[in-house]
Amino acid sequence: MVFPRIDAYSALKSPIHSFDPRAKIISFSILIFSFAFLNDLKAATFALGFSLFLVLLSRLPLSFVLDRIKVPLVFFISILVIMAFTVEGAELFNLFGLSVSSEGVLLGTLIVLRALAALFLLLLMLGTCRFEAVLKALYMLKVPGVLVQMLMFSYRYIFVFIEEFLSMKNAMESKGFQLRGKSSYSLSILGNAVGVLLVKSYERGDRVYKAMISKGYTGNPKLFIKFNMKKSDYVLASLLISLAFCFHLYPVIL
Amino acid sequence: MKKRAISVESLNYAYPRNKKALENINIEVFEGEKVAIIGPNGAGKTTLFLHLNGTIKSPQKNVKIFGKSIGDMEIGARIREVGIVFADSDDQLFMPTVYDDIAFGPTNMGLSKEEVDKRVSYAIEKVGLKGLENRVPHHLSCGQKKKVVLATVIAMRPKILVLDEPTANLDPKSRADLIKIINELNRKEGVTIIIAMHDVNVLAELADRVYVLNRKIVANGSPREIFSDFTLLKANNLDAPDVFKLFKILSCLGYACENLPLSFDEAVNEVLNTIEREGIISLRASEQTHSAIKEIMNNYSGVWTEGYGKGN
Repeated sequence: MVFPRIDAYSALKSPIHSFDPRAKIISFSILIFSFAFLNDLKAATFALGFSLFLVLLSRLPLSFVLDRIKVPLVFFISILVIMAFTVEGAELFNLFGLSVSSEGVLLGTLIVLRALAALFLLLLMLGTCRFEAVLKALYMLKVPGVLVQMLMFSYRYIFVFIEEFLSMKNAMESKGFQLRGKSSYSLSILGNAVGVLLVKSYERGDRVYKAMISKGYTGNPKLFIKFNMKKSDYVLASLLISLAFCFHLYPVIL
Repeated sequence: MKKRAISVESLNYAYPRNKKALENINIEVFEGEKVAIIGPNGAGKTTLFLHLNGTIKSPQKNVKIFGKSIGDMEIGARIREVGIVFADSDDQLFMPTVYDDIAFGPTNMGLSKEEVDKRVSYAIEKVGLKGLENRVPHHLSCGQKKKVVLATVIAMRPKILVLDEPTANLDPKSRADLIKIINELNRKEGVTIIIAMHDVNVLAELADRVYVLNRKIVANGSPREIFSDFTLLKANNLDAPDVFKLFKILSCLGYACENLPLSFDEAVNEVLNTIEREGIISLRASEQTHSAIKEIMNNYSGVWTEGYGKGN
């Protein structure tokens, strides 16, 4: 079974891949926030360029990056369209009686650029190390245990659920059911299947909890982790963080 | 005299808004014993097991492990006594990597990092999966998952090991591996084994004594005693091992055998011994043979009787 894993290319070798997960999470998060609050179109373009440069540096295959980015991209484009038509300002051109304002287009572009830049960074943060390394890094960074455990269990069991759903789909199709049908009948069947999956997951949750109790779970699992920060990690992290600040400071300085 | 590892006295349990799951259960298991619990689907085996390590606590305090009520023990002490391997492996591998999963129990016991590391490598070596420490559980095969689950429990070094359907859904090699690991734990380290299983053909390799559970304890005895009682088997949706049934048929054909073999290995030994002793194995049919065979077929597997005899 092949799953669409976010960490499918975590075994590649690149400066981003060898970056310590903790330092990566901290510096990339700061960069993401910095990019998200940019107000200048030029700065945002530069930010997008910079994150694209990081993507190239990471050697993640382009097809993987595009595959991951295409769904949010549809969402961003729709924001651009909505902005262009709704923000008031100087009319750029008229489309069937609806005016497109230049302010709207500029604001929409700014939002799309910022979002894309942040999204590339997020993809790099999650795609360049194994997902459990991210979890352990979050644990070490003192993110509340409940949150880390929720993430951990979601990641562990999402594959089990996919597998369970696919085997259910196979069972349905081997009895002649076609998922493509748009009739209310096939929709109701699909609804039943999803319902069964919910009940199954509820019961599995119960069994998992019992298994955890039988191994002495008390609510705060301890993880033993081997991460060593190297000199290069400190350098790269401080570089990225100062860059994040530079993006906001340069209009003040210049 | 051997110590009493598990004693359950008149245990009752009912799930909320349901009929009784367990009724007046009495079980006694001695240290170092291998005991199988067999019974039809839904007989309450898993529910009984959840009582044995205190996941379900009996208010009457009638589940005792080495003389102490399991419900009153601290959680850390409880998992040192009883380790359970449940039926579904995916339910029990919930951590990001195999290492984390095996380390989960020992860490909860409050052991140091070095000791946890030692336990993990000991356990993973015991199940023969060295080198898989950093794998992600959902990338493992069914057989590997089962072995990792066993390792997660072995790492806690429990005195009593409880296994729910350990051989279900495994390929023959993995099944044989698992049986070997379990038997080694019992023989070399004196771990008391309690096992629930449907696979009667390998049961004799894994158990010295058998309880038949069907909400109540219906019977208790050696595997040979239990398998000889066909009314008991039939009433509880059970069956005897194929080899055992075959030698019953052979005995109608004049092959006298003191102890009917329960497993393939035993059968091979039996045949070889007879041939060495007597030089020949002869089978013959008399007038009563057919009716005797028919009776055995009838007693043991009612399903086949219609087919049997048509050839005559």
